[in-house]
Amino acid sequence: MNRGLPACIALLACLVVRTGDVAAQEARPAPRWPDGRLSLTGPPGEIGNWEGRSFQGATLFFVAPADALDPNTTALPSNLHLDDVPFQPWARALFDYRQATLLKDEPHPRCKPSGAARLFHTPYGMEILQLPDAGEIIIVSVGAPHSWRVIHMDGRSHPDEPKPTAYGHSIGHWEGDTLVIDTVGFNERFWMSRLGPPHTSQLHTIERISRPDFHTLRYEFTVDDPGAYTDIWTGGWNLVWVEGNEPFDYLCQENNIDMERMVGPQG
Amino acid sequence: MHAAIRLLSAGFGCLALGPSAWAHHNFAAQFDADQPVQLSGVVTRVDWMNPHVYFYIDVLNEQTGEMENWGLEMGPPHSLQRRGWKRNSMQVGDAVSVAGTRARDGSLNANARRVTLESTGEELGAASSEDSGN
Repeated sequence: MNRGLPACIALLACLVVRTGDVAAQEARPAPRWPDGRLSLTGPPGEIGNWEGRSFQGATLFFVAPADALDPNTTALPSNLHLDDVPFQPWARALFDYRQATLLKDEPHPRCKPSGAARLFHTPYGMEILQLPDAGEIIIVSVGAPHSWRVIHMDGRSHPDEPKPTAYGHSIGHWEGDTLVIDTVGFNERFWMSRLGPPHTSQLHTIERISRPDFHTLRYEFTVDDPGAYTDIWTGGWNLVWVEGNEPFDYLCQENNIDMERMVGPQG
Repeated sequence: MHAAIRLLSAGFGCLALGPSAWAHHNFAAQFDADQPVQLSGVVTRVDWMNPHVYFYIDVLNEQTGEMENWGLEMGPPHSLQRRGWKRNSMQVGDAVSVAGTRARDGSLNANARRVTLESTGEELGAASSEDSGN
């Protein structure tokens, strides 16, 4: 049974559906660069960026029961039910503890890096900058301590012993219109998504990013971590293009007085 | 200077958890939806900074007769500006009333959901992580 899940379910069940603005957007094809490559930004003259919305479990890897309340959830329909995520027992216990304590220990609000999928649902949006001349793609997160992540697109391999970091060492390539990112070399000092499914330094991820239409960024995340899970598993969500969003001067460390105040239910 | 404090004990329930329980921080980890507050007081300080604008007001606790200084959290400057705020929308010395949710740690802090300037009656949203959506 979901030992720590009730708090999570209660929280999700109370969330207000805020999807009308998304549904009302005009259907448009995804933009392309002059060479035909899929663009993951706006075309010239159009300002916007991607948001991983936070209503109704929209940006979870897995399907919590409350998700069924919202037919407009942006969680991928192929997501596992929480009870089918192949946690090792210690990982499930830690996950449940994090829900029961209302995520009070999350590194992100403490202005720590948001590695792996966590970067895809930070507040205030994110941008994916394609730099073919540099052989890189850079992902910029707005609601973070001035954070960016580099995807090497120049054909290199992973180093033999990458230095463990929050973002790891990422190499990418295109499979048609899907950007495929392979990442290793993670440290254990971040949560890999908002609800904190645990990971270890053995984490190896495959991310598949596509843009089925102008307003939708499909994000699929495969977790291969024998330190925390008994099998490889996949989940994901759709991010939405929010017109008018653009990076602003947000520096999490500026006056972050929340850290000592996130006391959870025991406060 | 007349200011008053009223602590409301019930009524918000699920609403206070809102869609933005996952903004910069998990709303519920810091604020208690079962402790909505309605405060009136005079602004003593405004910290127009990320990740949250904080302002402070002197509030008379009618039960104790003591003046208390409350800290009120709003959204980041950018989000407030998108909702019509300017840096001088609220200044030290202004009388305001605030609807919000109290901190779980029992301190004199709360998340502001709605701010009203008492001199004009102008109501300003607070880009609260309770209801901002992100």
